[in-house]
Parts: sequence; structure tokens; C-alpha cells
Amino acid sequence: MSFDIAVLGAGPAGMAAATQAAQRGARVVLLEESPAPGGQVYRSPPTGFVIPADADSREGDALRAALMQSGAEVRTGCRVWGVGGGPLVPQGEASTPFRLDALGADGVPFDVTARALVLCTGTHERIIAFPGWTLPGVLGLAAATILLKAQGVLPGQRVVVAGAGPLLFAVGAKLLKAGAEVAAVVDLATRGEWLRALPALAARPDLLARGAAWRAALTLAGVPVLNGHRVLAAEGEAVLRAVRVVRLDGTDAQAIEADALCIGHGLVPATEATRAFRAAHRYAAEEGGWVPVLDGDRRTSIDLLYAAGDGSGVRGAAAAPASGRLAALAALHDLGMLDATAHNAARAIPAREFTRAARVGSAMARMMALRPALVTVVAPETIICRCEGTTRAQIDAALDDGATDMNQVKQYTRCGMGPCQGRLCGETAAEIVAARVGGREKAGFATGRLPLRPVPMEALLGDFDYADIPVPAPAPI
Amino acid sequence: MDAARQRDMLIGVANPLRIAGISRPAEVPFTFNGKILHAPSGEAVASALLAAGIRRLGEGPDPTRPRAALCMMGVCQQCLVRVDGRLAQSCLVPVRTGLVVTSA
Repeated sequence: MSFDIAVLGAGPAGMAAATQAAQRGARVVLLEESPAPGGQVYRSPPTGFVIPADADSREGDALRAALMQSGAEVRTGCRVWGVGGGPLVPQGEASTPFRLDALGADGVPFDVTARALVLCTGTHERIIAFPGWTLPGVLGLAAATILLKAQGVLPGQRVVVAGAGPLLFAVGAKLLKAGAEVAAVVDLATRGEWLRALPALAARPDLLARGAAWRAALTLAGVPVLNGHRVLAAEGEAVLRAVRVVRLDGTDAQAIEADALCIGHGLVPATEATRAFRAAHRYAAEEGGWVPVLDGDRRTSIDLLYAAGDGSGVRGAAAAPASGRLAALAALHDLGMLDATAHNAARAIPAREFTRAARVGSAMARMMALRPALVTVVAPETIICRCEGTTRAQIDAALDDGATDMNQVKQYTRCGMGPCQGRLCGETAAEIVAARVGGREKAGFATGRLPLRPVPMEALLGDFDYADIPVPAPAPI
Repeated sequence: MDAARQRDMLIGVANPLRIAGISRPAEVPFTFNGKILHAPSGEAVASALLAAGIRRLGEGPDPTRPRAALCMMGVCQQCLVRVDGRLAQSCLVPVRTGLVVTSA
């Protein structure tokens, strides 16, 4: 199937981008991995589940309703494993329409082509490795929000919430409301850091009020909030039994009994697709890490390739729809479907909305930025790459042996070569490499490779069979 | 109150990890390593196992890296199980009647 615009990812940015483009008459397809549009913040529960509405679910429902009326073709439950076309053509040839290869919800492989591609691929969570992080019962903060909001299941009965950023308090408050005991909130940030972030929040009083309500709920319930603390280790035999925490200066270590630890050290933009297209990237710690280089209308360095939402730099769910709309309008303009005057008029409102919401988002993203000190203390025997079992000692050995960047460390140690493709270990590993080679820019990133997601071999092969392998005729003797 | 809803509420009370006040589809049976479990149709297999008190989903490649739900969004590949014989991320597979789930 051929479209004007394909949008990858149906979070707030993708939903808004597809809606905007379809409303203005473009043929649009929106591809999403989850069973329903929404993304992580506005994730909807499975069919047949009715979960009481809150502010997030109402915003999500409004974006979903607009999308469904827009005329965009929405394909959910599909796993996009391949990106191609565009600039990815043999040298010297003209670029072609973009192509996305996917495995459908029904298990049947399909592909779509589109003249323009808007990437709204969101983020995944950064969890810096620590002893015991492989114990069952240790989950991500984002995982906890999915369990609470979209599954109606508690991660545990007595939970420690740890890490950085506003998600700490969102998860803590939601756990309390859902009936769990919150044993402690362990926050890397000091009170001073939060106070310095406050002025930026004034741009969106609604978000400020929500954050204040979360904190109030925790205080009211008598939950200890340990500022300037980190998790030293997760402890237990077969599953988590206790969380050992310590002040950042190494004093006041204590063990807290818990059957779940929800931990997250910020969000990392998912740039697999822009990396696969070899778009220009820059390292911006305060936006979550490596991000594609963009202009004010979300254009990447590749013609007709756009990026919006947190996947192009963490600015939060409130800023995402406006950035999606900006990308859609730029794509329409660049495809000749919207003239310059109309484009200028149409982009004014989303541009203003984005600037305002991004001010809050930036302040929160700074709270979630990677803290190198957390990586410095990772012990040699700690597993960094869970897929391949690579320890810090092995990464250090590779660096001693002469590895100079992430690709080489990957080749020396297999770190990042497993099925998660470095999404889980990449940040810890890159920071270890960066400390040795002189910064994240020098450490670089693992080259984007297909498949973007694990897919069964038969999906790649299609009906290609052994008998179809071309065998050249034997040379005459 | 109809019978199904009443049943759903009873289920919510019975399981301390399923959050109360949420209406869910009827529970359906599936198996994990041969044991019969029940969960609302459509709940993720990873959530259903968590609610059943099963957090260690398998022994994984070595004892230091057991299978367990971590990201719940299909990124980390830590919650791999076999569903009807095929490798699958338990956080992405919805519970259906008769699913045969085994450790991977």
C-alpha cells in the first residue's frame, strides 16, 4: 500500500501528526506496536477493561477520538522491523519512497510505502545497572505505570520506588491510590534540585498542580521520601526481598524490605530508525541522550524524514502533540500539499504550544538526565548487558585491549548484541566507554541495524524456500 | 448488578495484586508450566503471572539472569516465555482461553 505520509508510533506525537495530516487531505497510515493507540503515557487498557478515568486517560481519549475521525489508516498490534527506501538506495541512485516492513497483528508480514515518514517512536527507560537488578521483582518505573494504568495489577504489595524525575512521584502516588504500601521513595535528586526546577513549571500550572498533589499524597500517607539517595543493591534469593539504599555520599546505608522495586533513571529517545537512515544526530544529555538534528519544523537531515515527540528529544507528553502537528504540517508543505502561506499560518499555534509545554518538559528532562556518578560506582562483577551476560569487568577489559567506541565494545564483548539490541545496557555501557575515551560524542553509538525488533525468521523469508535459492550452473570442467 | 460483574468484583477482592474498582472481562483458564491459572481475558500474560504470584518466569541463560518482567512494553526481552511452543514476550501477549505458557 502506498501513502503520502507514514507515521511510526501512535503515542501523543504520532496520533496528533497522523490526525493533522489526514485532516488536511493526505493519505496517511499510522503504525503502532501496541494493541491500541495511546503510547505509554496515554496507554489504553485492553478491550473489556474499564479503569476509572483520570487526567491522563481523558487527554489520551481526546487524541484517540480525533485520530479515529481523521481518516488516517491506523494499524495497531504490528511490529515494524524494517525501514528502508528514502536515502537507503544504491549509491548514485535517486531516493525512493520510504518503506516500512512489519509483522501484522494477525502474524502476517506486510509493508507500506510513503513519500514522507514521520518518526514518533517515543522513549525507553534508562536503568543504570546495579547489583541484583536481574532479580525478579525489580521493574522499571515506566513498567509500573503500565501495570497500574493499563493492566490494573500492582507490581507488589510493598514497593520501593527509586530513581529520578517526576515519574517517581507519579508512580508512588498511583501505587498508594491503588492500594499498595509504598515502603520508600528513593530520589537521586536533592530537595534543592527540585526547588530550582520549580520556576519552569510555572509555565504549565496544571502540571505543577498534578505534581504537588502526588507529593502531598505521599506525605499524607507517611511515606519516607529519601532525597539524594540511590539504590545500592537489590537483595533476595530467587526473588526480591529487600532493597539496600544509601545516601549519595555513601553514608546511612539501610535495607528496606519490599517485594517490588520500581526503578528508573530517566528516559532515552528511541532513535533506532533515524540511526538506520543515517540521519545526523547530536548528543544532548538534557534531552535524554542522542537525538536527531532537527529544524524548528521537525525536519531531520534526511529529505522528507521527520521526528517528533520524546523520541526526538525528551520534552514530555504535554509537548508531544504540538511537535507531531509541526512535523505533519512540514511534511504536507514539503510534499507540495500545503502552500507556504497556509503552512506559516497553520504552524503558528502548535509552535507556540510546543515552546510553552517544552519549557516544563525540559526542566523535567533535566531532572531525568543521566548522572555519570551513578555509572562510576558500578562494580566490576555487575552484569551490564542482561541479554549476553556482559559484566562491567569485561567492558573495561575490552577498553584496556584497545576498543575506542561503542561499536568496538560491542564487537569485543557482545554487549548490546542480544535481542534487546542494546536498549537496556546501552546507556550504562556508553557511559563506561565515554569515561575512558573522553565523552559520549567520542564513544558514539552502536550502528542502527535491522531488524529493529526481533521477528520470526519466517516473517523475513516469506514464501522464499530452500528450493528458491539460486544455484549457478556449474562451470564446465 | 449482573452476575459477570459480581464475579469480577469477587475476583478483585480475592487477589491482592489486582487493583479494586476496575471492571474486567471474565477470567479464562490458561496454563503455566502445566499449572492451571485463571486471568481476565486480554490481560498481558506477564501481568497474569505476576498477579498469580509468579515473578520468576524461568531460569534463563544462567542463574544470574532469570526471566522476569522488567519493562512491560516489549523493549527489554527479559520476560521471554514460550506461548503455545513459540518464543514470545509475555508482556505483549494477551491471555486467551487455553494458552499453553512454559518457561523459555
